[in-house]
Amino acid sequence: MWTLARKLLLHDRLRFAVAIAGVSVSVMLVLVQVGLYFGFMDTASSIIDASKADLWVGKAGNESFEFATPFDERAFYKVASVPGVERTERVLMNFAQFKLADGGDLGVQIVGIETTAGHAPLLAPWHVIAGDANRLSEAGAIVVDKGEYKKLKIDRVDYATEITGVHAHVVALTSGIRSFTTSPIVFADMRSARSFMPGLGANAVTYVLVKVAPGESVETVKARINALPHLAAYTTSEMSKRTRTYWSSRTGVGAGFFTTAVLGVIVGFVVVGQILYSGTLQYIREYGTLKAMGARNSMVVRIILAQAMISAAIGFVVGGVLAHGMQAAMAKANLSVALFPSLYAATLVVTIAMCSFAALLSIVKVLRLDPASVFKG
Amino acid sequence: MNAAIALTDTLPGITLSSRPLARLAAAGKIYGTGENAVAALTDASLDIHPGEVTLIEGPSGSGKTTLISILGLLLKPTSGEVWLEGRNVAGLSERQLPPLRARNFGFVFQGFNLFPALTALDNVAIAIQMKAPDARDPRGEAKRLLALVGLADRAHHLPADLSGGQKQRVAIARALGGDPPIIIGDEPTAALDTKTALAVMELLRELATVQRRAVVVVTHDPRLERFADRVVRVEDGRIQAID
Repeated sequence: MWTLARKLLLHDRLRFAVAIAGVSVSVMLVLVQVGLYFGFMDTASSIIDASKADLWVGKAGNESFEFATPFDERAFYKVASVPGVERTERVLMNFAQFKLADGGDLGVQIVGIETTAGHAPLLAPWHVIAGDANRLSEAGAIVVDKGEYKKLKIDRVDYATEITGVHAHVVALTSGIRSFTTSPIVFADMRSARSFMPGLGANAVTYVLVKVAPGESVETVKARINALPHLAAYTTSEMSKRTRTYWSSRTGVGAGFFTTAVLGVIVGFVVVGQILYSGTLQYIREYGTLKAMGARNSMVVRIILAQAMISAAIGFVVGGVLAHGMQAAMAKANLSVALFPSLYAATLVVTIAMCSFAALLSIVKVLRLDPASVFKG
Repeated sequence: MNAAIALTDTLPGITLSSRPLARLAAAGKIYGTGENAVAALTDASLDIHPGEVTLIEGPSGSGKTTLISILGLLLKPTSGEVWLEGRNVAGLSERQLPPLRARNFGFVFQGFNLFPALTALDNVAIAIQMKAPDARDPRGEAKRLLALVGLADRAHHLPADLSGGQKQRVAIARALGGDPPIIIGDEPTAALDTKTALAVMELLRELATVQRRAVVVVTHDPRLERFADRVVRVEDGRIQAID
């Protein structure tokens, strides 16, 4: 069956190539578009996902992670005193102006974190590729991502500049830390961060990170914190999901990417369907002959489905390789395409379904084929 | 090969040389209804015997194709009976007919109807697989059948690389797949030159004589009559004579 299907497909190599091209482009579009979506979403929640906190506490009513309203530091102490809380750390996030080498300014997203010596912070720059992130405690020390070199117009660790008129110098570089807002992320110590954003006041805090004491239930502690006025606590995974959902729904990025992915599937469906159908028409007398000789409909249908599955399998492999190429090319443009095993598995299922449905017209054609037609003409 | 069916009754005016493999009894086919009704075949009775070559002759549109289509279970008659394997199969459903066809018939066509993408061997083997999905060695059987029709050395050739006569021999080998007792040919020599046509008919004759298969061939060519045991003349949808 498979041999027959393969030979029928390969007999007209040009048509086979067109079918494979159709499936491959479809697979690539699905993988790249959905991968881009997840890449963006990973970017949107990367800071949250990288933290070691059990709970994120912010001002009640905050919708956006990046544009959260700060609150007074007194709330930090209230959270710290909630039973079951082992450790708390402050995070201050907001936007500031980064002075560029050419005299211009660029909006950057400051992430102020605690750098208390003695224990690992609940949030710290990750994927450090150069310099020393432990130097963040120095006044004006910042950590930036190498991918933002071009935007920030810097070229080395120890590069010195100003943020909102305050001295800043790069002490370490990270790799792959990007902001969904497109503004470069700049890590700084809380003290430096406050100096970069004087408008927020000396006691502003955007989030309180909580480490729950061993043996305590995270949900119980979360409930206790939520009982405090004007504060809202989320587990790290809840916070991550909220942020992804916010950007996905508010910006329409989800709909955009998935629409393109669906269009890719439609293109593949049409191309494969047309190729299979024309192939079926080409061999219609032969299929009729098989039916006349006693072949059951199911056997002839299997030949057509086998052709669809071969197209799906080869197209998936080629499309997967193309998607990998696109991933590498897009990485150079600072775009993250998240390709992971479950996405490949889902895309394979979609591809098989697409090719199976594309074969429907051909299947209907052979099912309706009157075996007596072999005697006509 | 399947044993001949146990039909004991004889049809009026027909002398039987053996028990028939298949029988049409007053079979008729009407296309359309009411004023648009067209009788393609009327009251056709015919026995098909093992070892016999039956030629069906008649002008175009006379009902020859309808006759062999009904005989080959490709078309249901609107009246009369079709006997096969000892029973009247005219009323069987479309689902029941394919296995009956697979067991009893092999078809040979004017246009060969070979898959151009498949070698001679594959064309025969796939037919065997389709007819008998449980066949142990369809390729081995296909090789044997190709050898039988004198094409052992052309087994791995594509149809495009074969002559018309060779293609028809492949088609005959394919028709023999599954070991059917009845071979039906729809003008199998029409696309061939005289010498090749006669060679193909000789092969069919041999299959009847040596292997005791029943061979039914529709033709316009009176030169083929010398290979036949009987000639059935069809005109205006009726069997006019059986010589």
